[in-house]
Amino acid sequence: MDQFLQTLMGALAIGSLYALIALGYTMVYGILKFINFAHSDVVVLGAWGSLVFARWAERTAGWSQTPWYLGGVVLIAAMVLCGTVGFLVERLAYKPLRRAPRINVLITAIGVSLFLQNTGQLEAVFGTRPASIPRLVGDRTIAQIGLVKIEMLDVVGLFTALSFMLGLDWLVFRTKIGRAMRAVSFNPQTAGLMGVPVDRVISFTFVLGSMLAATGGFLWALKYSQVNQPADTGWTLLGLKAFVAAVVGGIGNVRGAMLGGLAIGLLEQFGSAYLSSSLSDVYVFSLLIVVLLFRPSGILGSTAVEKV
Amino acid sequence: MSHETPPTPGLVSSLVRGYMPFVVAVGVAIVMQVVVRPNVDPYPAKLLLDIGINCILAVSLTMVNGFTGQFSMGHAGFMAVGGYASGAITYYTSMRVWGAGEARGGVLSGMLGGEGLPWLTVGDGLFLFSLIVGGVVAAGLGYLVGLPSLRLKGDYLAIVTLGFGEIVRVVIQQTSPVLTSAEEVRQATILQLPTHVGGSLGFSGIPYYTGLFWVYLGVCVTLIVAFRLKTSTFGRAFLSIRNDEIAAEAMGVNTTRYKVWAFVIAAFFAGIAGGLFSHTLGVGLSPEAAGFLRSFDVIIMVVLGGLGSISGAVAAAIIVTLLPEWLRGVAEYRMIIYALALILIMIFRPKGLFGVREVWDRATWAWLSRRKSGTGARGGARE
Amino acid sequence: MSEAILQARGVSKSFGGLRAVSEFSLSLPARGLHGLIGPNGAGKTTVFNLLTGVYHPSEGEISLAGESLLGLKPHKRAAAGLARTFQNIRLFAELSVLDNVRIACHLRTTHSMGSAILRLPKHRREERAIVRRSMELLEVFDLAGRASEDARNLPYGDQRRLEIARALATEPKCLLLDEPAAGMNPQEKVDLRKLIHQIRERFGVAILLIEHDMGVVMNLCERITVLNFGQTIAAGTPEHVQSDPKVIEAYLGTE
Repeated sequence: MDQFLQTLMGALAIGSLYALIALGYTMVYGILKFINFAHSDVVVLGAWGSLVFARWAERTAGWSQTPWYLGGVVLIAAMVLCGTVGFLVERLAYKPLRRAPRINVLITAIGVSLFLQNTGQLEAVFGTRPASIPRLVGDRTIAQIGLVKIEMLDVVGLFTALSFMLGLDWLVFRTKIGRAMRAVSFNPQTAGLMGVPVDRVISFTFVLGSMLAATGGFLWALKYSQVNQPADTGWTLLGLKAFVAAVVGGIGNVRGAMLGGLAIGLLEQFGSAYLSSSLSDVYVFSLLIVVLLFRPSGILGSTAVEKV
Repeated sequence: MSHETPPTPGLVSSLVRGYMPFVVAVGVAIVMQVVVRPNVDPYPAKLLLDIGINCILAVSLTMVNGFTGQFSMGHAGFMAVGGYASGAITYYTSMRVWGAGEARGGVLSGMLGGEGLPWLTVGDGLFLFSLIVGGVVAAGLGYLVGLPSLRLKGDYLAIVTLGFGEIVRVVIQQTSPVLTSAEEVRQATILQLPTHVGGSLGFSGIPYYTGLFWVYLGVCVTLIVAFRLKTSTFGRAFLSIRNDEIAAEAMGVNTTRYKVWAFVIAAFFAGIAGGLFSHTLGVGLSPEAAGFLRSFDVIIMVVLGGLGSISGAVAAAIIVTLLPEWLRGVAEYRMIIYALALILIMIFRPKGLFGVREVWDRATWAWLSRRKSGTGARGGARE
Repeated sequence: MSEAILQARGVSKSFGGLRAVSEFSLSLPARGLHGLIGPNGAGKTTVFNLLTGVYHPSEGEISLAGESLLGLKPHKRAAAGLARTFQNIRLFAELSVLDNVRIACHLRTTHSMGSAILRLPKHRREERAIVRRSMELLEVFDLAGRASEDARNLPYGDQRRLEIARALATEPKCLLLDEPAAGMNPQEKVDLRKLIHQIRERFGVAILLIEHDMGVVMNLCERITVLNFGQTIAAGTPEHVQSDPKVIEAYLGTE
C-alpha cells in the first residue's frame, strides 16, 4: 500500500510535467501539423535559464536565505526567455516554410533542435557539464501517510502544473484568442479568409507553448536539482515521451495532452515500480505503438480523412 | 532516356551484362585494398572506411526516405542490430572454434605481414557470413517496423521509428557482459550467447576484419542494387508512392507492400553497414550506436543529397564525413554549423543538392543555366 | 442489352450521421458510356471512391465482370480492371510524363524484384514492353513529344489527358473519369468528346464519367444517372433525364 501511494505520488508529479510539455507539442501540431522537434530544447532552455538566473540572483543579491518569491521570479524570467526564443524560431525557421511539404518542416524542426542543443553546449552558454540549481522551494515534508512522505516540492510542482493547464484550458475554450486558435487549427485558409490574423495566432501559439515548456523545464530542474548538459539524450527522451503523451491523448487536443501526460506518468512509474525500472522507456514506446495501431487518433482525438 | 532499346539480346549476353557490374565491384574493392590501402596513412584510410560505411547507410536510407517518401528516423537501430548480430557471430564462433577472438583473415581483410598469407581465408568466410546474417536480422526487424507504416503517415511513422531505435538501444543495454574466456563460451548454449553482448559497457573483443576491400565491396553492391531498383518498374512504383499515394494505389501499385519492401531492403543494407562498423579497428560498439544522434546523422546526409538522389546521398555522405575534418579548428561549432546548414537548405533549396535526380542528369543543372541565361530550362530541379 | 461489366446494387455510405450516398445502383454494359451528374455535393465523387475502393460502402454490392469487388483495396480493383482519373488532377508531379504512364504499367508486369536487381532477361523484356506500350499511349494522346518533361510542367489540358492515358495504361475494362472537361474551353471540350469516343472504340472500355458540362454529358452518354443529396433521383437516357421534373427541380430549384 505504501509503495502504491508513493508510486502514485511520483506518477502524478512526473505525469503533470509530461502533460505541460505535451501541451506545447499538441498545440503546434494542432495548428501547423508537424512535430516541433525543437520543443524539447525549449524545455532545456527553460531548465537552464532558470538555473542560470537563480544562481545569478543569489550571487548578486547575497541573501542569507533564499526569499520565497524568487521561485516565481525565476519562473517568469524563464518563460519570457523561452517565449522569445519560441517566437524567433517560428518566425525565422518555420514561417518561410508555410507552403513547403511537411517533411521539409519536420527536417527543419530537427535542424532547429540540433541548433538550440549545440548552442547550449557552448562553454560560453551553458557548457557541457551538469550543474545544480539552488533550492528555490523549501525542502520540507508537509504530510506523512504511513511511510509515504508528501514533499513540498512535489505539491508545488503539481499545483503549478495543474493551474497552468486549467488556465490554458480556459484560454483555449473561453476566450477570443482561443477561438481564433481553434479556427486556425481547423483550417488555416478559411480562418484567414474569415479575418483571423493567422500569422499572429501561430506566433501566439508558439509563445504560449514555449512558456509552458519553460514551466516544464523549471519544475524539472527543481525536482531533480541536477540539470544535465543541453545535448544529453535524456532531454530528447523527455521530449519524446511528452510527444508520446500528446499522441496517446489525441494530438491536437489540449485536454488529451493532459490526460496523455498523466497516463504516461502512471505507466512509467508503475511499470518501474512493479515490473522493471530499466525498461521504463520501452513501456512508453510500446504504448505509443499500440495506440497508433489500434486507435491512431488517440484517446480524445478525431480522425481526419484525406479528401480525394 | 531509354527510348532506343537495342535488339533482343541472347540469354548469355544478358546474363553477362546483368552480373558485370558485380564483377567490377569486386575489382574496385580489390583495388581499394591492394593498391590504395598500402599507399595511404592509417588516418586517411580510416576516413575512407568511414566514408564507405556512411555511403551504405545514406544510400540505404534513401530507399525509404527518398524513394517511397516514408520518414524513418530509426536507421541507426537497424545498423546497431546488424552490428551486434554479426559481431556476436564472428566473436563467439572464433572463440568456440579457435579458442580466441582474434581475426583470422587474409590479405583482403587487411591482414598484413606473414609471407604467403592467402587472399581469403576461412575467417573471411565467417565474416562474410556474419555480415549477411546481420543484414537479414536487421531486415527482419525492418519488416516489423515497416508494418506500422501500413497505417501511419509522415510524422507518426517518424516518431515510431525513432521510438524503435530507442527500444533497440535500451534492450541492448540490458544484455549481459561479454564472455571473455574460451571455457565460458564453450559451456554456454547457443541461445545464451546472443545475450552476452556487453550491455551498456559495449561489445568489446569483436575481431577486426573490416578493411577497405569489404567496405567498398559493400558500397558497390549497395549502389548497384539501389540504382537498378530506382531505374526499374519497382523503383518507379516506390517513387509514385512518394509523389501521390492515393493515385499510386489507384494505378494498381500495392503501396503497403512496397513501403514494407523499402523498409526491409534499407534495413538489410543498414545491417550490413552495422556489421562492417562493428568489425572496425578502434570502434567500440556500444548501445549508443542505436541512438537517434546517429540516425540524425544519416538523415542529414539523405536530406542534403536530395531525398531520392543516390549520387546525391553519396556526395552528402562524403561531405558529412569530411566536414568535421575541415571544421577541426572550430570543432565546438561543428554541430551548430550542421544545424544551420540543414535549416538553410530546407528554406532555400528544399529539394537538397540534387533533388530526386542524379548528378549526371542534365536537368539537375538546368537551374544553373536558367539563372545565367534567364531562359526557362524546362524540367529544372527547382520549382 | 449486353452483360453488365460494372455493377453496383444498393450501395450506401454514411460518414458519421451523414448519409453521403444512399441506395446507389448502376449497371454499366461493356463499352457503355454512362454519365453521372448532379449538383455540387450530390455525392458523385463519393460514388467513384466507393467503386474504386478508397471508401468502403456501409451496404450494397459492387462487382466488376461478375467478380465482387467488396473489401478489395484500390490496387486490387485496378488489377481487376477498374481505372480512374481524379477531379483535382493527381499526377506524379515530380516524375516525367513517360514515367507517369510507365508506373501504371507496373500492374501488368510479372517479374520479381530480384530479377530487376540482377537485370535478368525477363526484366529487360518487360521493361521494353512497358516503354513501347507507354509511348503508344502517349502517341494516342498527342503527348509523345513531351515524354521526358516533368508532369507538373504540362499545361492544364495536357495534364488532364495524361491522367486518362495513365489510367488506360492499367489496361482497364472500365474507366471512371471524374470531371474530365473541368476547366477546359469550348474548343477543348469538343476535342475531349471526340477523344472519349475514340478511347472507347480503340481500347474497348466501358466509361463512367462525372461531368458538370451538360453539353458534354448529353451528347456523349448513352445513359445518365442523376444524384442529389446522395439519392438517385433519375436514371435513364439523356432525353428521359432531361425531361424529368425532379431533375429540373434539383438543378433549377422550385418556387
